[in-house]
Amino acid sequence: MTDSAATVVLRNVTKRFDDFTAVSDLSLEVRAGRIFGLLGPNGAGKTTTIRMIVNIFAPDAGTVELFGKKITPATQDRIGYLPEERGLYKKMKVGDQLRFFAELKNVSGKEADTRIDSWLARLKLSQWKAKKSSELSKGMQQKVQFITTVLHEPDLLILDEPFSGLDPVNVDLLKQIVLELKQAGKTIIFSTHQMEVAERICDDICLINRSRKILEGSIREVKRGFARNAVSLRMSGGEAVLADCTLVSRVERHSDGLEALLAQNASAQQLLQRLVAAGAGIEKFEMIEPSLHDIFIEKVSEAE
Amino acid sequence: MRKFIAIVKREYLQRLHSRMFLLITVLGPVMISLFGIAPALVLSIKAGGPVRIAVVDQTGKLYQGIHESVMDDTVKRESRQDQITGSVANKNASERLQQVGEQQEGRYELQEVRLEGRPLNEVKKELDRRVLAKQLDGYLVLPLYLLRDGKPEYFGRNPGDVFTRKFLQDAISRAVRQQRLAEANIDSRIVEELSEPVQLDAMRVSATGDGVRDSGEGFALVFGAGFIMYLTILMYGQMILGAVIEEKETRIGEILFSSVKPFKLMMGKLVGVSLLALTQLAIWGLAFAAFALYGVGVLAARGMPLNVPHVPLIHFVYFGLFFLLGYFIYSTIYALIGSMVTSAQEGGQLSMPVVLFPLIGFYLFLPVSRSPDSSFAFWVSMFPFFSPMTMLVRIVTQTPPLWQIVLSLLLGFGTVALVTWVASRIYRVGMLMSGKKATIPEVVRWVRQP
Repeated sequence: MTDSAATVVLRNVTKRFDDFTAVSDLSLEVRAGRIFGLLGPNGAGKTTTIRMIVNIFAPDAGTVELFGKKITPATQDRIGYLPEERGLYKKMKVGDQLRFFAELKNVSGKEADTRIDSWLARLKLSQWKAKKSSELSKGMQQKVQFITTVLHEPDLLILDEPFSGLDPVNVDLLKQIVLELKQAGKTIIFSTHQMEVAERICDDICLINRSRKILEGSIREVKRGFARNAVSLRMSGGEAVLADCTLVSRVERHSDGLEALLAQNASAQQLLQRLVAAGAGIEKFEMIEPSLHDIFIEKVSEAE
Repeated sequence: MRKFIAIVKREYLQRLHSRMFLLITVLGPVMISLFGIAPALVLSIKAGGPVRIAVVDQTGKLYQGIHESVMDDTVKRESRQDQITGSVANKNASERLQQVGEQQEGRYELQEVRLEGRPLNEVKKELDRRVLAKQLDGYLVLPLYLLRDGKPEYFGRNPGDVFTRKFLQDAISRAVRQQRLAEANIDSRIVEELSEPVQLDAMRVSATGDGVRDSGEGFALVFGAGFIMYLTILMYGQMILGAVIEEKETRIGEILFSSVKPFKLMMGKLVGVSLLALTQLAIWGLAFAAFALYGVGVLAARGMPLNVPHVPLIHFVYFGLFFLLGYFIYSTIYALIGSMVTSAQEGGQLSMPVVLFPLIGFYLFLPVSRSPDSSFAFWVSMFPFFSPMTMLVRIVTQTPPLWQIVLSLLLGFGTVALVTWVASRIYRVGMLMSGKKATIPEVVRWVRQP
């Protein structure tokens, strides 16, 4: 697969349930070997979109292509899907359970057993292999669920809110694994409404709201489009400089510093020079990029 | 195929290894035999002492006879036995109850009270007093002309005791009959000998001309098969229901559906649970066969005559096929219900009416066995929900043409496939729309949805 090849292509996909339209005329491309963030508020149509990609639903209109072909039951085996609504068989032992899910993805039992051991070790769950899943804590269950998603070495991973409810240590552990999988050339679709997480690991994003796509592109492109030209400051003195309307249009003060929105035609460079010249003691001077969170809120409320 | 086997294996092994399975396998036969024995045990509990009854015999001739028949209950039991063998199949509940009641016989104490010139009212007042003082439980007043007409009267603290009432009535009737015969100078023993009932031998007319004796083993087998079918449907239907709902309650459905087609999943569940049912039935069957063989061995060793049922081999094949059909018809219905509901509790409520169908099929064996080649019998033996039972009855009583048997099987298994397909479609959408119960129009739309 070349770098530009798309793993998933949706063309003008629409899905209705009775008179409710869950996804409407959605087109998107997930490029191979990248992490694609499928973002949107609750009820935007993320889950329905994913369900069409994994072949649970067929779209009412439009086409879904995976690995350059129409989806078939065989393509299902190349996908690892961790749904938001996920569970485990309560009375089944962890080892048996993982083996069962691997077999459902057409991996032979023997092959699965060796992979299970290494994954359990990696996620520090080895001593739980013979325990029933009802004896596991919620976080541990979630790690087991994650293993079921990757056990059959899928080419495409779809993770729907994979980190919700995990402690920071485990979030880091899983994040590291996800990045390793990306290094290994896997394509990852990552659905969440936790923007800080998406911001840190996604290469590309697509924002959908009320069944429609409202924004897409690489993180860099998206952010560039929303640049706000503001500076975060912590300093002593220099108040007179901030009062200059030709330089600073607005000042927001926080407990730990302030944010200065630059006036039109003014640059951060100018502001810094003026402050230094005025003898202000500068502890922090940082250009503020718009966060994905801000973009998300702005775009979604714009659409309301 | 690997996926399908994985599902079957999981359903089977998970249940096989559960403690519940072991418990039911061991305790099941115990429970069933308890159901048989417990009522008899309870009814035979002797609460309180014997029932004391005074008899005011105004005829002066009957007390002796009544006393004899009350004390001599062995004679009575034998005569009752004759009646029972005459109607094995029709032993209904009230008759059984009566038999149990008879075990209570021999627990009566009679005493005669003579008028000795006193007016009847005075004696009755005296007896009332003794009954209320609990010296007596009741008393009988036999009118003077009872041998011709008139009714005896029973006064007691507990006239609602049906056993005592029936028992006294029998004893009086017997005494009156004997007395009447004696007065007509007829020996009552001769009458009894002459009243010996007749046994009817039934033969099957065959093409070869020699009638084959049919002592009803085939019939008993159908009856037994029907009973086992019904129990199996009840027991394992619930298990299927649970298996189908399991993924909804654990929210695993979405992961499964992203790996395997709902139809395959549903079939896997049906087959897995069915294998478990077969395992359990086989364990019980083998245990039963071992006991039966042991019993036969013991009887043979003692030189007892053995009545080995002769049932054509092909009938056993039909039993097997229709048993499987009956099982699958109803288990797919349970699966269908399971696919529509969101919790085991809801499923339990909705599956209540399902129990009625095999019960009707079971009772249909009476009209069908009476006229097995009627058009009524034909249609009920084609209707998939009744055919497992009714077609078996027809096969045993008057084997229908082969095409009818084959058609019945085809219709039945066709229905199984159709119901499974519908159930799996509902299952998929129903699972993902968690949280609310489906309405009928919704369900219809789900089935149509691609």
